[in-house]
Amino acid sequence: MSSKQSILHALKRVAVEPQAMPEINVSPRLDDVIGQFETNLGAVAGTLHREAGLSGLQAKVDELMAQGQQVISTVEGITGNRTIPETAHELRDIDYAVIPGDLAVAENGAIWVNNKNLGHRITPFICENLFLVVTADTVVANMHQAVKQIGLESGEFGVFIAGPSKTADIEQALVVGAHGACSLNVYLT
Amino acid sequence: MSTNHTSGAGSAVHAKKAEIFCKDEARVDWHSKALWMLREKRDRAASSIPEWEQLRELGSQLKLHTLTHLDQYLEEFEKNCLANGIQVHWAKDGIEHNQIVHKILADKQVKKLVKSKSMLTEECHLNPYLESHGIEVIDTDLGERIIQLAEQPPSHIVVPAIHMKKEEVGELFHDKLGTKAGAADPLYLTRAARAHLREKFLSADAAMTGVNMAIADKGTVVVCTNEGNADMGANLPKLQLHSMGIDKIVPDLDSAAVILRTLARNATGQPVTTYSSFYRGPQTDGEMHIIIVDNGRTDMLQDKILAESLKCIRCGGCLNTCPVYRRSGGYSYNYTIPGPIGIAVGAQNDDTNSIPWACTLCGSCSYVCPTKVPLDKIIHHHRRLKAKAGKLPYGKRSYMPLVGNFMASETMLNCSMSVARTALRILPGAMLKPFSGAWGKYRELPIAPKSSFETWFNKNRGQ
Ligand code: SF4
Repeated sequence: MSSKQSILHALKRVAVEPQAMPEINVSPRLDDVIGQFETNLGAVAGTLHREAGLSGLQAKVDELMAQGQQVISTVEGITGNRTIPETAHELRDIDYAVIPGDLAVAENGAIWVNNKNLGHRITPFICENLFLVVTADTVVANMHQAVKQIGLESGEFGVFIAGPSKTADIEQALVVGAHGACSLNVYLT
Repeated sequence: MSTNHTSGAGSAVHAKKAEIFCKDEARVDWHSKALWMLREKRDRAASSIPEWEQLRELGSQLKLHTLTHLDQYLEEFEKNCLANGIQVHWAKDGIEHNQIVHKILADKQVKKLVKSKSMLTEECHLNPYLESHGIEVIDTDLGERIIQLAEQPPSHIVVPAIHMKKEEVGELFHDKLGTKAGAADPLYLTRAARAHLREKFLSADAAMTGVNMAIADKGTVVVCTNEGNADMGANLPKLQLHSMGIDKIVPDLDSAAVILRTLARNATGQPVTTYSSFYRGPQTDGEMHIIIVDNGRTDMLQDKILAESLKCIRCGGCLNTCPVYRRSGGYSYNYTIPGPIGIAVGAQNDDTNSIPWACTLCGSCSYVCPTKVPLDKIIHHHRRLKAKAGKLPYGKRSYMPLVGNFMASETMLNCSMSVARTALRILPGAMLKPFSGAWGKYRELPIAPKSSFETWFNKNRGQ
């Protein structure tokens, strides 16, 4: 018998009575979802820019490029000084990546990003700093609502990003910037 | 749970190993406090969500539902993975798991593997296996990299280097990574590790991660990290591997949402992990493999009580709250996974037969568990199983054969607790201490309350 067959066979004799799937029906907190999002994004060490809009973001990007920073953008209307390279590894020296988020979650500050908008899957992780752009009307209350809306086709990759990369593995001291981006700024449009 | 289960520290009864840890009283206090901090953060995160108890109940029910329909869900998962271009392998035990991984890597002539989120690969002892076949394995979670460089096993399932002080990490990094001598600043050390590991990510031939959840109806695996190491690994080389226990399956995205809401809150008090990544297929021109592992899990499902331990989502919450774990350290459990959940899943193979007693049955673990794993009930059950099998640890043999009946009877338990309280009050400490084991050797015994909680409760709050 193959290992698959023997595992499936053994699973015919689970000692616990079969249980029904519960209905998942959790009431969302709908008051001031953007305010909730801002608070929770702050709690995970990200920063929300509510007023600046795309023009504010472009001004920031221009300033960074003038300082010699390497910026890549996959957001329509934002121009960086780098284009999507042939291989993922060539993104190793990117200082700033500007990426669109599909939706944001108020209860935890997370933003859903799909690989369709990334060029390479590694982009939001390999950059030193990350800018995410989110449309205000895509902010949902909680994860239950978020998963109803995330697009994830066969073969794709998607990720909820909640703040910059962080670790507390050395004596529980929080350090921002482990392997992924060292900072996260979110622009609301 | 595994066939080759002892941790790197070798096997000795729990009390013996705890005794080593307890010798350094300052370190015990420091360790206990560090973990209690996590417990407090968890409490704040939990109480900030009004529906917390509802989420625990949902988590418990959906895991029980999945565990009682695992054969269906695993087949559904495999079918959907294949449709997404993911290759699926099945391993009955750790040895087969390691062979499968090695074969995939050998076929592609992989020389360097970056790895993350890997309690299952610890359970299977994958690293030494691959290293013996000439493959360099780099653990990339900062905590795991620290203990890998120190050649130690993890001492906690979420914060594996929790037992080490920053000065010790500084010394280790000075030795292995060339950081400044005497440097102990966590920011400086983390940056050094970042630079060191970036080179590894960029030069790796393949990446391997564990799995937090496997979504049956989508053929998707979910991997959660704070550091982004799993994603730095999986999204650079063209070959990605994911190992998962059969218990990681959930039916759909709705179930995943429930667990994503409790996992990080219960682990570290964060509202969610920084990265919750959903892989529904390989990258362009890439290959994605999933290895589904049994390694004793189907056996546990044959026991009504032990089965519930497979509801665990590995948040580590039960370790952080456990008074015994906090004061005896992760290395005293004789198993890769320490603490209450380590006892629940590891006691069956514990050749010292002592770890079910590394527990006060205080129930704090069951109280914090986000999927309501009845840990104290399971641990108690393990004591009975050991007693029934005549496998009681040294020193417990004389009175323990009675333990099964005794523990089952609430009246008897309460009665004897009252005897213990009286004894603690009237007998001289010197007479009692020898009976209190490693714990009492280095500290004073507690002052016993005059009445039990039960008596107090009946008098003051009872109907
Ligand atoms: S048993 Fe519960 S509390 Fe312990 S690690 Fe598992 S899920 Fe977390």
